[in-house]
Amino acid sequence: MHEDDHDGLTPAQIAEAMKATPRGALALAGITTGLLMAAWLAMYFLVFLPRGSVG
Amino acid sequence: MSEADERAIVRSEIRWAVVAIAAVSVIMLAVIFAAIAMHINPPSNVERINPQDLHLSAEFTEANLGTKVEANGQITARIVATQFAFVPRCVVLPADRPVTLRFSSPDVIHGLLVSGTNVNTMVVPGYVSQVHTVLRKTGDLLMPCHEYCGLGHSEMSGTIRVVPSAQFRPGPDGRVACAAK
Amino acid sequence: MPQNRRLILAHLWVAFSVFVLAAALGVWQMWVRSPLAAPQDTPARYYQSVTGHGVSMAYVLTTFFIMGFGYFTAETALKTPLPSARWAWAGFWTALAGVAMTVAAILSGQASVLYTFYPPMTATPWFYVGLVLVVVGSWIWVAVMLVAMARFKRANPGAPVPLAMYATVANAIMWLWTTAGVSAEILFQILPAVFGWTQTIDVGLSRTLFSWTLHAIVYFWLFPAYIAFYTMAPRAAGGRLYSDTMGRLSFVLFLLYSLPVGMHHLFMDPEHSTGFKFIQMSLTALVSIPTLLTVFTISASMELAGRLRGGKGLFGWIKALPWERPMVLATGLAFFMLWFGGGGGLINMSYGMNAMVHNTAWVTAHFHLIFGGTVVIMYFAIAYEIWPSLTGRAPLSVATQRLQLWLWAIGMMVMTLPWHYLGLQGQWRRVASFNYADPRIGPWGPLVIVSLAGGVLLLVSAVMFVMNLLPRRAQVRLPEQGYSFALAVHPPQRVPAALNGFTVWNVLVAILMLVAYGFPILQFFIGNSPQAVIHPLTGG
Ligand code: HEM
Ligand SMILES: [Cu+2]
Ligand SMILES: [Cu+2]
Repeated sequence: MHEDDHDGLTPAQIAEAMKATPRGALALAGITTGLLMAAWLAMYFLVFLPRGSVG
Repeated sequence: MSEADERAIVRSEIRWAVVAIAAVSVIMLAVIFAAIAMHINPPSNVERINPQDLHLSAEFTEANLGTKVEANGQITARIVATQFAFVPRCVVLPADRPVTLRFSSPDVIHGLLVSGTNVNTMVVPGYVSQVHTVLRKTGDLLMPCHEYCGLGHSEMSGTIRVVPSAQFRPGPDGRVACAAK
Repeated sequence: MPQNRRLILAHLWVAFSVFVLAAALGVWQMWVRSPLAAPQDTPARYYQSVTGHGVSMAYVLTTFFIMGFGYFTAETALKTPLPSARWAWAGFWTALAGVAMTVAAILSGQASVLYTFYPPMTATPWFYVGLVLVVVGSWIWVAVMLVAMARFKRANPGAPVPLAMYATVANAIMWLWTTAGVSAEILFQILPAVFGWTQTIDVGLSRTLFSWTLHAIVYFWLFPAYIAFYTMAPRAAGGRLYSDTMGRLSFVLFLLYSLPVGMHHLFMDPEHSTGFKFIQMSLTALVSIPTLLTVFTISASMELAGRLRGGKGLFGWIKALPWERPMVLATGLAFFMLWFGGGGGLINMSYGMNAMVHNTAWVTAHFHLIFGGTVVIMYFAIAYEIWPSLTGRAPLSVATQRLQLWLWAIGMMVMTLPWHYLGLQGQWRRVASFNYADPRIGPWGPLVIVSLAGGVLLLVSAVMFVMNLLPRRAQVRLPEQGYSFALAVHPPQRVPAALNGFTVWNVLVAILMLVAYGFPILQFFIGNSPQAVIHPLTGG
């Protein structure tokens, strides 16, 4: 690593912040992906299937 | 920041990857269910036809276009998509009965959808596009050409007139045409 | 400080100038499609404009931005000058000559075939020759990127290629694969026809070759946004990248799965069977995995940053993030738009479900959201981020940058939400004027006007963007500065050879392409594949 690239964060700071990480990220990504699946399923059941068979 | 810490990162990433794969699998299963149980597939009959003399082919001559009830009772509508109109512009079909739509193009690429339904296909010169469906809604459904086919593309639009099954009365030759409205 | 600043700025300014003009065309198009009376409202003008807008946004903005950003990344991440500035300039002028030729062709009115130029409709030859030159220019860029990485590896045996450069080279290699399809189509099918050596074209084959390019090209456009997520945003937020390895893995997965999936654009086509459509649908589902991984890895990086800034609890870190910084704000807005754009994409790729939306305004909405939205907003953020090291000047105030980014995101949502809805109602694509007197179409009018309003916001934002970057008198000179990419929580000391190069992945791409496209292309050489007579653009 180049010296002038250093971001000034110390290992101790990072270790402290990593204690609770990534619980929040898991929650956030989980909720948004869950909502995404819900939206997909809603389109599938409420719009797509009622429009009938084709092929 | 220890080795253990790094392993924790990898573990969390793997746990998330499992969630992601599960989500995508749900979609795949639903799609396969729609294809197999609900008979919703992309139109893919891969049927070649020479576009250069389409009007001479037995099937897509002018006289054979429009809706026809075949001897075996099958209902088929044949439509030519050409710059910048569908021939015929209007087609009558009965509601709640299996029908087949067949399209071809003598010139450039066209496409179509029937509004409010899953009927949707490209019409590629050199191929017959075929869609089997059952129409549930009666009325005049919009059937626009949905692929850019030249400067007149915006005007290229047709109608699928869905009538209650009881009002669908083919003539002695098995043909039905839209009455002028 | 990058050595070849003029080279990089030349690329970016071509990209951004063309972008602003194209945004103005876009608004005019929205106006013509709406029930309001617009000037110059003829189909010939409309399709000329859509061709200009599509080519500018999809080919010029993107290619020039990616080339310029690639040169920037090579110099700043590897900390060495480019292997050959002369070749890089040659690529620039080649591509620019191509743009000039293509633009002239469009202005002549003889090339209104849209950016997808589906044969057998044909334009003047200069349209295609110009596009080929743009691609050739970009191939020179690919070569410069490959040599730059190879030199770095030779000079630093065993050292990991920095993630930003690794990703850039992944994109360059993917681009080489990507352009093979459309190049074959233009060189072997279209040019012989437009120069009059042949009169017919196998349309099934041309569509298949174009589809080879059509999906991977959108990932080519997307890469810079992901590079910014992984290597810029974490540092801008005051944190670190959660996992360098996941970054490498995601970029490799993009390289692998962007290519063998293009037939999802042909789900509604009659020249392919359900079998191959299904195979490519399954591979498409896999390409959503690296995006979902990215959502998590970047969320975790942001969480780390938020916690370093004192954020507590399950979601408190979100509030603690420095949202006032343009790169952080843009990342947030980009992910917001990605939820809608990606969700729409999941529906498009779902095989039979594609019938519900294919070639409707839904699709136009989808790609404006994800490409015009998520991707382009990150282009803005990248420009703001690297401007000081390129010009020695800061862009106009941070507040105007934020306002510009907000306007872009809001405008994009206002434009595309009604478009999605109208698409489901059957509003179809590429229409110069709707017959609002038709009772089936009339009710669409008000929503079309709403999306026009969104388009106006976007144009305001586009103009602001360029104003923010323009040099001004009385501007403070900043001290010379380099650019530092984000560090990882565990900066890699060594990485496995597979994640430090591309040999294995290229072999895998070749195998996947053979499986996905082998027979679908071969079928056009079996039996009498139908030929269609070419149709020079007509009508109106
Ligand atoms: C001011 C902002 C914008 C407005 C108002 C706008 C509006 C439009 C309109 C009205 C169309 C024609 C749609 C049709 O006829 O079906 C269009 C097409 C297109 N837009 Fe935009 N757009 C904007 C920004 C963008 C951006 C940022 C991108 C990508 C970077 C983009 C990429 C495209 C492409 C590739 C097409 C061609 C689509 C085709 O040929 O069907 N646009 N846009
Ligand atoms: Cu058309
Ligand atoms: Cu695609």
